[in-house]
This record gives sequence, C-alpha cells and structure tokens, in this order.
Amino acid sequence: MTHLPTEEKRQRYRRGLRWAMALLAFVLIVPLIPYGIVAAEGQLGSNTADIWRDARNKDQRDAFRTQIQGIETAVLINNRGEQWRTFREKQLVPYGGYLLLGTLGLITAFFLFRGRIKIEGGRSGKLVPRFSSNQRVMHWFAAGLFVLLGVTGLILLYGRYVLIPLLGPEGFAITASASKEVHNLFGPIFPFAIIALMLMFGRGNMFRLLDFKWFLKAGGLFGGHAADSGYYNGGQKSWFWMTVLFGIAISVSGLILDFPVFGQTRELMAGSHLVHGIIAVVFIAASFGHIYIGTLGMEGAVESMTSGYVDSNWAAEHHNLWYQEMEKAGMVDVEPNALEEVKRHDDIDFKGFGQPNPQTKEG
Amino acid sequence: MFLEFVEGPLWYASVVIFLVGIAIRFYEILARGVKPDLAVPRTDGTAGALRTIVSRSWTAKGFSSGAVFHLVAGYMFHIGLFVLLFFAAPHIVFIEERILGFGWTAAPHWVFIAAANLAFAGLILLWLRRVMHPVMRKISTFDDHAAAWLTFIVMFTGCMALLEGHDGLRALHMLSVCVLMIYFPFSRLMHAFTFVLSRGYTGAVMGRKGVQA
Amino acid sequence: MAKVVTEHDYARGVEVLRNQIDAKIASYLSSCVGCGLCAEACLFYTETGDARYTPIYKVEPMRRLWHREQTVAGKLAKAFGFGSDLTEADFAEWQEMTYDSCTLCGRCSMVCPVGNDIAYMIRKQREAFSAAGYTPPGLQGASKRALEIGSPMGVTWKALSAQIGHAERATGLTIPVDVQGAEYMTLFSSMEIMNFPEYIEAVARIFDAAGVSWTVSSKAFEATNSGIQIGSSEIARELVSRVVDAAEGLGCKYVISPECGHAYTAIRWDGPNLIGRPYEFEVVHILELLDQLRLQGRLETEGFDERKLTFHDPCQIVRRGGVEEPPRNLLNMVAPNFEEMPDHGKMNWCCGGGGGLSANEEAHDLRTTVFKVKKRQLEATGVNTMITACANCRIVMEEALEHYEMPVVIEGVTELLAAHLKPKAGKTEKATTE
Ligand code: HEM
Ligand code: SF4
Ligand code: SF4
Repeated sequence: MTHLPTEEKRQRYRRGLRWAMALLAFVLIVPLIPYGIVAAEGQLGSNTADIWRDARNKDQRDAFRTQIQGIETAVLINNRGEQWRTFREKQLVPYGGYLLLGTLGLITAFFLFRGRIKIEGGRSGKLVPRFSSNQRVMHWFAAGLFVLLGVTGLILLYGRYVLIPLLGPEGFAITASASKEVHNLFGPIFPFAIIALMLMFGRGNMFRLLDFKWFLKAGGLFGGHAADSGYYNGGQKSWFWMTVLFGIAISVSGLILDFPVFGQTRELMAGSHLVHGIIAVVFIAASFGHIYIGTLGMEGAVESMTSGYVDSNWAAEHHNLWYQEMEKAGMVDVEPNALEEVKRHDDIDFKGFGQPNPQTKEG
Repeated sequence: MFLEFVEGPLWYASVVIFLVGIAIRFYEILARGVKPDLAVPRTDGTAGALRTIVSRSWTAKGFSSGAVFHLVAGYMFHIGLFVLLFFAAPHIVFIEERILGFGWTAAPHWVFIAAANLAFAGLILLWLRRVMHPVMRKISTFDDHAAAWLTFIVMFTGCMALLEGHDGLRALHMLSVCVLMIYFPFSRLMHAFTFVLSRGYTGAVMGRKGVQA
Repeated sequence: MAKVVTEHDYARGVEVLRNQIDAKIASYLSSCVGCGLCAEACLFYTETGDARYTPIYKVEPMRRLWHREQTVAGKLAKAFGFGSDLTEADFAEWQEMTYDSCTLCGRCSMVCPVGNDIAYMIRKQREAFSAAGYTPPGLQGASKRALEIGSPMGVTWKALSAQIGHAERATGLTIPVDVQGAEYMTLFSSMEIMNFPEYIEAVARIFDAAGVSWTVSSKAFEATNSGIQIGSSEIARELVSRVVDAAEGLGCKYVISPECGHAYTAIRWDGPNLIGRPYEFEVVHILELLDQLRLQGRLETEGFDERKLTFHDPCQIVRRGGVEEPPRNLLNMVAPNFEEMPDHGKMNWCCGGGGGLSANEEAHDLRTTVFKVKKRQLEATGVNTMITACANCRIVMEEALEHYEMPVVIEGVTELLAAHLKPKAGKTEKATTE
C-alpha cells in the first residue's frame, strides 16, 4: 500500500531511523562507562597500603606480578566474589522470591475481591481498530523473548531450590545447562526487541496531566469510574516506561555478562550481575500485573493485541478520549481490513493520545 | 542408549526418507510435463531462466515498502540459518564424521552467535507475522505453522545442547532433526529445492518474451 | 464450433482443473512459502485491503485440488479420511476472485520470491471455471458475440467498412482491403473501431508515408480474443484460427497486432500454442513496427508536442509482452516533455480493466476503486496528458478519470505520431500541434 510514500511518511521513517541509531549507540556506549571509571580510579590510587590491601587488590594496583597474563590474575585474594555470593544467596534469592510470590498473591487477592472487570455496556459488536499488525508482531516478539528469558533465568536463580527436589541433581544439571545456553543465546536479541517496542509504541506514551488524575482515581481499578484517558492510560504509560528503563538496564548488564571477552573485571561482572538479578525480579513481578490485566483481569482487552481490534464499548469505557477521536474519524464499526491498519496510524492524524478534549474537559 | 538409537537407525532412516521423499516430489512435479512453447521467442529462454533463478533473491524495483518487514526478517532468518547449518563447529564435525568424510573451518564464535541470533529473531518474526497479518492468516495452512515450529524446535534444541556436556540434550536435538527431515519432503519446506524449478520456469517464459523478470 | 458454457457443472470444472496443472504449476505450488508478498504487488489488494485478493489465494481451489490429488502428503491424508474435496460452493465462492478481482496483469508474478507466475495460474484456473460455467455474464456475452458475430462488442465487417470509408474520406487515402500478397495484415480491436477510429486514420497515414504494403482482411479484422479472458482455450483457438487462416490465405508475411494489450498476448504468444503449430507469418505489435520504421528512417516526424505528458505501460504489451523500449523511442521523437510515472515500465500498475474486467459489469465498482493507484501515480507525476498503447486501457481509464473528476486526457502513441508526420514530398498537409 505504501509503494508511493508521501513526504510525511518518509520523514517519519527517517525520524524513526535516527531514533533507532541513537538508541543503538546508547546501548553500545553505556557499558563502556564503568570501564572509564575503573580506568580513572586505577590511576588515582597511589598511596602506600598494607600488604592485605594489596593482596585483595582493593586499589586495582598491580602490587604483585605474575607470569599469567589475564584480567586480575595478579589478585591473590578476591573478596568481591564472596560478597557477591552472599548477596545472591542471602538477599536476592529470598527477597526476590517474596516479591514474586507476593505479587502473585496480591493479584489473586485482587481477582477474588474485584473479579474480572467487565465491559459494562456489554459488547456492541462494533469494532474499532487499535494496533497494527506490525505493532502486534513486535509486541509478541518482545513478550515471547521476555517469557523465554524469564523462565530460563528463574531456573538459573531458583532451580537449585525448586527443581533439584523435582528432577534430582542429574536432571537439574541438564536443565540448568540447557537454560544457561538458551538464556545466553537469546539474550542479545532482547535489546533489539526493546528498541522495536520503543519505536512501535513510543508515540502517545508521554505522560500528561490527565494521567495523574487517572492515577489519583487509581484508574478505576477499585470501582468508581476510570478518569479520562486517551490512547493509553496512566497505567499503560507506566508499564511502557518500565519496559524501556528496565529493558535497557537489563540489556546492558546482560551484555556485559554474556560476553566476558572485552576485559571486564570481576568487580564489574559482579556489579552487573547484581543489577541484572534485581531488575529481572522486579521486571518479572511487574509483568505479572501487566499480563493479568491484559488477559484474565479485563474483558475485551486481549483482543487489541491478538486481532488488533477492540469492541467499541470497551474503547468508550477505558479510553474515552481516543474513542471520541476515532468516532469523529469514522473509524468505529469498521470491517477488519488490512488497509485500515495502516491508515489509522498514517493517514489519520488523530490526537487521541490524551490531549484534554474541549468538550470533555469538565467531565 | 537413546542417543545411539537416534544417531544410528533413526538417523539413517530419516536420511533415506528425506532423499527418497525429495526424489518423489521432483518426480511428481516433472512428470506433469510442460508443453513446448511454439511462439517465436524474442530472446533466449535459458538465459532468462538462469537470470531469474538468481535475481529473485532480491526484490524487484518499484516494489518493497509494503513488505519491508517481511523482507528483512526473511533475509535474517535465511542467512542466519545458512551460517548455522554449515558453519557451526559441531555441524562441521558431524558432516565430516558422518556424511562427507571431510570438513572445513568453522565460523568464529561471535559469527556463530550473531548468526544464531539472526536466525532465531527472523524465524520468530516471520511466524508472528504469519499469525498477525490478515493476508498471512488468510493464506497460511497447517503446514506453514508446522514447518516454522519444527524448524524452531530444531534450532532451539540445538541451542540447548550447545554446551555439549549432556548426551540427553544432544539426543533431543538429533531427534528433532530427524523429525524435520522426515517431514521436509512432504511440506512447504520443499521450497528450499523447488525454488530452482519455479524461478526457472517463470524466468524462461519471461526470457522468451524479452522481459527481465 | 466452440461453445460458451452457461450451465453450472462443477464436476466438469474439477476435471478440467486437474488437467491444467502442468509441471510449472506443480513447481509453483510446491515452492510457495505463503509469504504474502504477492499481495503487496496486486492493486486489488493494495487498494482495498481485502486479504481475499491476495494473488495466491485466488488460486486456492487449484492448490487444494493439487495437494489432495497430486502430492504424497495429500493422497495419504485423503486415504485416511482427512481434508475434503472441492465442492460446488468453492466454485461459487471463487468465481469473484478468479474473474472480478484479477486483470491477469502479472505484476504479482514479478515479485514472488520463489518466482511463481501467479497470473499464469489464475489464467489456467479460468479454464476450469469457464468449463464449469462459473463465469461472469458479461464475459459470457462477449465470448458469444466474438464467436457468433466476430467481435466481442458485436462489431461487424459492415461497421468496420463504414469506419474505413470515413477514414478514407478524412485522409484522402485508399485503405487496402483483402489485398492478396500484401506484406502486412492489420488487425483492429473492436474498442478502436467503435471508440477510437482515429487509430485507423493514423495507421493509414503513417503506412502511406512509410510506404508499407498492407491490407485489412474482411474475414478476420478483430484482434481481441475473448477466449483468453474467459479462460477457454477452445474459444481462444477458434478465434485465433480465423486470423491465422485469413493471414495465411492472403499470403501476408506479417500480422500487425493493434494498440491493444490482450490481443497481443493472444495472437503473439498464445496463438501458436493454441493452434498447435507455428505460424507461417510473424506477428509484430504496431509499436514494434513503428519503431522499426523509425530505425529505417521511414518514419519521419516534424514539430513537437510541447505538453508535459507521461506513458501508461499496458501490462500485456510491456510486462507480459516485452515491448518496453519502442513506445519510449517513439515518444522521444515528438514529445520533449515526456516524463515517466513512478513504477513505470515492467512494474507499472494495471489500469484495472484487463483480463476481461472491462466487459464484466459486476466488477465495475471494484475496477473504479483500484484505479486509485493510477490516480496516485498520475498525481505524483503531475501531468495532464497520458499516452498509452491500448484501447482497452484507454476506455477504462477515461471512465475512471471522469469518476474521479481528473482533468487528464488520454491519447494513443500511433495517433500522436500521425499528428506529427512529416508530409510526403509533394503533399501539403501540415502537422498540427494542439
Ligand atoms: C536454499 C534456498 C531457500 C530459499 C530460496 C528460501 C526462500 C524462502 C522464502 C522466500 C521464504 C518466504 C519469505 C520469507 O518468509 O522470508 C521462506 C520461508 C521459510 N523458509 Fe526458506 N528458503 C530456502 C531455504 C530454507 C531452508 C534450508 C529451510 C530450513 C529447513 C527453510 C525454512 C523456511 C521456513 C521455516 C520458512 C517460513 C517462515 C515463515 O514464514 O513462517 N528455508 N524461505
Ligand atoms: S495478475 Fe495482477 S490483478 Fe491478477 S492477482 Fe496478479 S497482480 Fe493481481
Ligand atoms: S509471493 Fe509467491 S511464495 Fe509468497 S505467497 Fe505469493 S505465491 Fe506464495
């Protein structure tokens, strides 16, 4: 359909490309920053120090010499390793577990208390186009990777406690080996999925005043009516930005861990590991909420990401400002059609992203 | 034990089915015959066929933007798969020991990782597009999904076995390879071979008409 | 005599379909990876967004039959009771996709990554649908008229000779009829005879100036072939035979295919295969002939047409016919402000009226909708004059331009040249520039 691109489309494309390049550069440069810091500090430490400090090589000074050429081969005693081990086993594993199980518990409680959020007006049977097929593809691409990496990652973190009793040590050894390889191989794809998500879903995800009103009413989660919302509501925007920030952090730390061939120090590796582990657990816990509200928790929501169309009553109840724009543009009650998908994002310049609409401002 | 079965009898059986199956498919196609073209050609059909066999590997001028997504993912998948298939160290060892008797240099590790990432990302994207895009939904058959998933499983088990430390994982990979090879001749995966015929036939017709297709 | 089937008989259709699948089609169906790229090339999909108009989906009946009866997997599935045979309902459902939404333009065949000639498959599927009587009434009528009267629009020799009379009076030349041993036998399309008789005058004047030995046959003057469009080889064969008999009877060395796309495909490429032997004459397209005359210095023009103008490549002449350079060479003789449209040449977009659509009233609205792509091409080029070389394209586009209220005029290449013909020494006729 887009064989004769308009100038506007071309510009948008170029802008997108520039963003992608900038992000790529960002992701590639950020991991270098710690090296810079480490390098700078190495030159600063020049005081005398006691022999134990040297043995532990606290100041990164080459106090001892060795024939073995390699990173930190001149370190006699490395207590960072021990610190890292203690943190992982005494803090990350238990508290991470509480967080994950706690989130599941809260969601279950919420479900029992509030039940499924229904489309109040029932289904109208009229369709409103919401996400294009490219958007849906990139969403499931990122989601699929997320689940795969999440599951394999959790096996590596909790397998010892959960799987050894189930599979026995030999069985777990195989599972762990497979999980590690899968996790390490699929990991590097994730940053690209995150970038794709940013490009596909960035438009309309900036916070606006009305999102804070939405937060004040807790989005109508606990009854009452949701406040005004445009294409995305405050909750969705939060999830988007969580995805972006956590996604970048987890990608950068993951890449440092996955390719230990660029002279990373043990300290940097341990630090990256902490960041990676903590964010992973928080990210996964947050995703439970997203997954719940997108499927079981709300009638009529999941269709937007499967078929790309939503019921008009759902749109009117949850995204009233956007719905009004779509109604004006004649995009309510459309036949599913491959072209509409392109059209609604490229040809119709709707502002349904949450600009307070003059008529509804008071409401 | 299981590994021995998979790498022994099952492997040989799959090779036979794969090769015989492909032969049958080619026979099925070629036996239907093509009537000779009696119209006076403008240019040579054979040259046209050869040109099209090569030139359809990239897109026609004046055609692309609507399909960029698919094209990019398609290239990613096929290039990645090709490198994995023929330049991953374990594959070369397998080819040397079990098939050809000689091997060649494996791709460096980072090339291997990059190829695997490309192949996985490409395949997943292609399949997702298949279930998301209205056109793809309309024209996809069970076979398309089966082929994509089988290919994915083969690659995935291969990835799981990367550490080469557990026979069980290796057996799983070999098992899925065998299943894929048995399925291959009866599915759309045949395009990997029949594309020469289809491009060739069209290239010949268009060549005779004097059109570079 | 060949007959137009009007009674539904899907069992007959299945039988015919089975036999249409040659090694080419079998290889195409084996190779198709279901990538959907062909959809992006087809104006019926790009202008409507309807996934049913994906080219390869239009031959789904053919694919199903092939898979079920001609592949190991399908035969096995059938033996175990899986899947289902083609039904009457399939024929009824696919009639629209086989006829109303495909102009046989062949654009899809240029982009398929595994090289499938989908237009060829659709053409072959039409054999089955026409044998089963699942054809649009408009095409049935056109084919009947072609068989019974000699022209799909019901143009008789009487009507043509009247037009020839007009042309003779307008040009002051004699148009040779049934001249034994003439070098070239000229064909016309009904569309030209009825709507654009200027073409007859233009040809007469150019041939006179270039000294071409030519004739019109009163037995076979119609170039178009409804059999190709409805998809009946039998009808097509009979219509081609008439031309072949006439040309060989007159002992002509060449037969000239007129400014009409499908006529060229029918007589140039399909004809010998339909009658089962090579011709005793050669077929040239009028554009090819004019380009030859130009090269030989026998076609001399004077003056220029200063208008900004563009060229619409008729699918069957350019993409499916290989005559891409001649119209451009000819236009460059007289049109200094000639500009190409985006996607011109072998990737040009169809006018929307090929493959029998112009005779198919049921497809009228769809035809108008898909013209939107031509509209964009024209808008991107920003010209108000479009030259083409197919009377069918021309009438279809004139109608659509009117619908979209676009102030674009269309002319034929031959006419444009005739208007700038250098008068023969001794005559005082003057070229006119609008
Ligand atoms: C050697 C020449 C090959 C050619 C020319 C070729 C070409 C193509 C093309 C054009 C497509 C569809 C377009 C696309 O999806 O990008 C495709 C899809 C596919 N190919 Fe290949 N291919 C080849 C080899 C292979 C091999 C060796 C395999 C592996 C077993 C394979 C597996 C697949 C799969 C699974 C898909 C479908 C992906 C999907 O759309 O779901 N191909 N191929
Ligand atoms: S031949 Fe032309 S009209 Fe027919 S399916 Fe192909 S692109 Fe579409
Ligand atoms: S472009 Fe070719 S391979 Fe792709 S769906 Fe169409 S016919 Fe099949």
